[in-house]
Amino acid sequence: MLNVRGLTKVYANKGDGPSGGVQEASFDLQPATFFTLLGPSGCGKTTTLRCIAGLETPDAGSIRVADTTFFDSAQGVSVPMNLRRIGMVFQSYAIWPHMTVFENVAFPLRVTKGEKLTGAEIGRRVEEALERVSLQGFGGRSATRLSGGQQQRVALARAIVLRPRLLLLDEPLSNLDAALRDEMRNELRRLQQQIGITTVYVTHDQTEALEMSDQIAVMERGRIVQIGAPRDIYFRPANAFVAGFVGTTNWLDGAMGEACGPGIRQFRLGDGRSLQCILGNQQTTGGARISVRPEKVVLRRDGAPAAAAHNRLDGTVVFAGFLGTMNRYQVDIGGSTMQVYDAADAAFTVGERVALDFPVADTVALDG
Amino acid sequence: MPGIGAEGSSLPSPAGSLPAPAIGWQRPLRAWLKRGWLGLLVATIMALLVLPPVWTLLQTSFSATQTDLSYGGLTLEHYRSLIQGRNLGNAALNSVTFALLATLVSLCFGGVLAWLVERTDVPMKGLAYVTTIISLGTPYILYVTAWLYLLGRAGPFNDFYRSWIDAEAMPFNVNSLGGMVLIEGFLWSPLVFLMLSATFRAANAEMEEAARMSGASIPQTVWRISMRLAWPAILALALFVFIRNLESFEVPALVGMPGRVDVLTTEIYRSIKEMPPRLGYASAYSVVMLLMVGVLLFAYGRISRHAERYASITGKGYRPRPFRLGRARWLAGCVILFNFLVVLALPLCALLWVAFMPFMRPMRWSAVKFLTTKQFDAVLSSPHYLSLGVNTLVIAVCTATIAMALTVLAGWLAARRQVAGGVIDQLVTVPLVFPGLVLGVALLELSLKSPLPLYGTTWLIMLAFTIRYMPYGMRYAYAGVLQIHPELEQAAGVAGATTGTTLRRIVVPLLWPSIASGWLFIFLICAKEMSLPLLLAGPDSQTISVAMFDLWSNGQGGEVAALGLLWAALMTLFASGFYAIMRRHAAKTFGH
Repeated sequence: MLNVRGLTKVYANKGDGPSGGVQEASFDLQPATFFTLLGPSGCGKTTTLRCIAGLETPDAGSIRVADTTFFDSAQGVSVPMNLRRIGMVFQSYAIWPHMTVFENVAFPLRVTKGEKLTGAEIGRRVEEALERVSLQGFGGRSATRLSGGQQQRVALARAIVLRPRLLLLDEPLSNLDAALRDEMRNELRRLQQQIGITTVYVTHDQTEALEMSDQIAVMERGRIVQIGAPRDIYFRPANAFVAGFVGTTNWLDGAMGEACGPGIRQFRLGDGRSLQCILGNQQTTGGARISVRPEKVVLRRDGAPAAAAHNRLDGTVVFAGFLGTMNRYQVDIGGSTMQVYDAADAAFTVGERVALDFPVADTVALDG
Repeated sequence: MPGIGAEGSSLPSPAGSLPAPAIGWQRPLRAWLKRGWLGLLVATIMALLVLPPVWTLLQTSFSATQTDLSYGGLTLEHYRSLIQGRNLGNAALNSVTFALLATLVSLCFGGVLAWLVERTDVPMKGLAYVTTIISLGTPYILYVTAWLYLLGRAGPFNDFYRSWIDAEAMPFNVNSLGGMVLIEGFLWSPLVFLMLSATFRAANAEMEEAARMSGASIPQTVWRISMRLAWPAILALALFVFIRNLESFEVPALVGMPGRVDVLTTEIYRSIKEMPPRLGYASAYSVVMLLMVGVLLFAYGRISRHAERYASITGKGYRPRPFRLGRARWLAGCVILFNFLVVLALPLCALLWVAFMPFMRPMRWSAVKFLTTKQFDAVLSSPHYLSLGVNTLVIAVCTATIAMALTVLAGWLAARRQVAGGVIDQLVTVPLVFPGLVLGVALLELSLKSPLPLYGTTWLIMLAFTIRYMPYGMRYAYAGVLQIHPELEQAAGVAGATTGTTLRRIVVPLLWPSIASGWLFIFLICAKEMSLPLLLAGPDSQTISVAMFDLWSNGQGGEVAALGLLWAALMTLFASGFYAIMRRHAAKTFGH
């Protein structure tokens, strides 16, 4: 459905700070995919989106939607944005304050070439789009008399009124407060599945990305570092950056050892203790790091029997915090501390000797 | 905004059906032209408006003048006579002294006032604002005539002195450098007040509070913290006022010339009005002024950029706690009152007195019986003044409309960094180096050489005004565009709108408040500006301010006052009506 090949757009560095841009980005999306570009600010995710929309002209690469070429540097094709028929929701919503809700939503129908609609048809299409976002009857309202959530919905209605093949969303939830954000997250996903539209979503919020997406592309400094389903991204991060950016993790330094099972390797910590781990992207046998998610670690009383296919480390609790849904601990394991999220009823006190158990399958070795 | 055009197709074309790529530079050039034609068009218009005056001035200053004004070969004669004559040194010295002292007066007066109103608990703050707003709407020539009367031979000050102290003396000679400095200083202090109060308001009060908490007294805090922080802004403003004073013509012409105090602008005026006019000599003078102003403007640009950097260290928009003046509060209140008297009440009284008196006479109770509406009757019943008023209004309306239409396009192109946007931005600022009188000289010469019959027509005045006030329109348009979130335009583009549609349906409606304010601003200054039309007006293209100047030169002070008061009242009425309509319109569209 959407094919992006070798997309490159580099901004000239103005001398202060790193310049943004995107390099050699490539991905292919199946129809009706909810695809998320995830990364910290300045990683190039918005630039990628703006290139697809036609707001930026890439330096190189190609962008195709179905059988239409939007951009191809080799062939010298560049379709102006107003001819691409893409729906887009901007970060600021970009609701025109001098028009009513109806006029805002009707605008694409009125200005798009080849779209000769009668007034009645426009009215029907607008009402249909407003209904989709649960704003039926708001048409006559002035656009300035809307709450943030309502503006968001108007922007969405305006983006889908043309029935585009592709919907682009540029951090649409970042301006909403926390409660509304959760609500809109569900609604956005529901709407996308209902009309089955291929969607590219840009965000720096990992929770949003994990919950809403079919596919996630994690970007770092202008490059896509991993593309995969949310579970893959979270549990099988391709490198240290992904593991650190998507969720919290513990890093343990050491060296890779010999193989000791299908896909399982020995890993020796700096002080000689030995663990078993699975391989992330690690192919060499030199210095390496392993990542262990804090919620995968279970604390046990000192001397409790070890479980099968689990690693065990001993340590002392140095910090204990009760968060209601869980306990958060910091455990000194000799030289370094590990963060542990344990069940709410697992109470340990500061200074207590504990054993840390975590599954081998969740002990992932990554590049140093 | 749109990307490089897909060769004329109305729908996204499949890759295979595209024409074979053109070779070499042709394709990028064509794409560039397609994207940038609007920018190139506007840049060309701007260049045609702005560059010929500069060129004409330079050319005339280097060409020998024939009696029939035809071209007589290259010469340095005008510059030689400029340097050899004693006038240049004298006039330049007077100009600089006058500008410097007047700047000092308005800066001290307006600055103290701004600080008191913004940062202390002085009483009657509202009065300071009202005074300022009203005085900004008054034509300069009207102001100047009021002060000429007040400080003049028949004015109340000299009269008072003669009646009570020494019947023979005349302590205040207004037609002197001192008189010029005082009047020009009062003329500019309202603007200084407005601009510095903005600076003081934006300053971060926490920095002052930190100084107070560290043990500093109020004067110490003001001197070592507030003043140091505001210093770049004050310096920039001082330079700006200095440049305006250097260029000013009203005060030197009305106050200085009768007292034989000559400055650069009056020298230029005199050499143009001589018979035969010494155009080359005036041009050489003008070039000297252009250079001076150019250098100063360059320095101003540097300083004000620096000032903006300083000003960006601002608070978060909460109202800082004002300094408590204690017992000095009432003393400070007197400053506000004094400002009201000097800037508004006294000139207004003087004008009313002069307008209602059959001829100039001292303000005395015994003269009340002579009060008459004769002057008003003369002004109101004369078809001559009516046609002057209509003429001025037509010029002001047309100029404001043309200038805003051009600068909206220019401002958008520049603010959105479109093709040629940078060049346009540079071109629009060029007229700033022209003092009004110098631009008048340049356009006078241009109209004499031009094949079109422009000389002495209303068109010429409109052209001159358009060139001169384009930079002001640009400021409104540019700032207005910057306030429109770019995503509002991008959303229209993604929705399928072309650049033209986006401009028409999104940018212009959203920019409307800025366009209206800019229009009103240009309209009002066109309606009161004197130095340009004074040189350019023919017998059929007179304006109100030129008529006032002529009346004053003929000694008809009463009619000047009556005409000026009526005109100022009309303009105030117009401006407030305009604002009222605008506010209602904005409330309807933008919902607040």
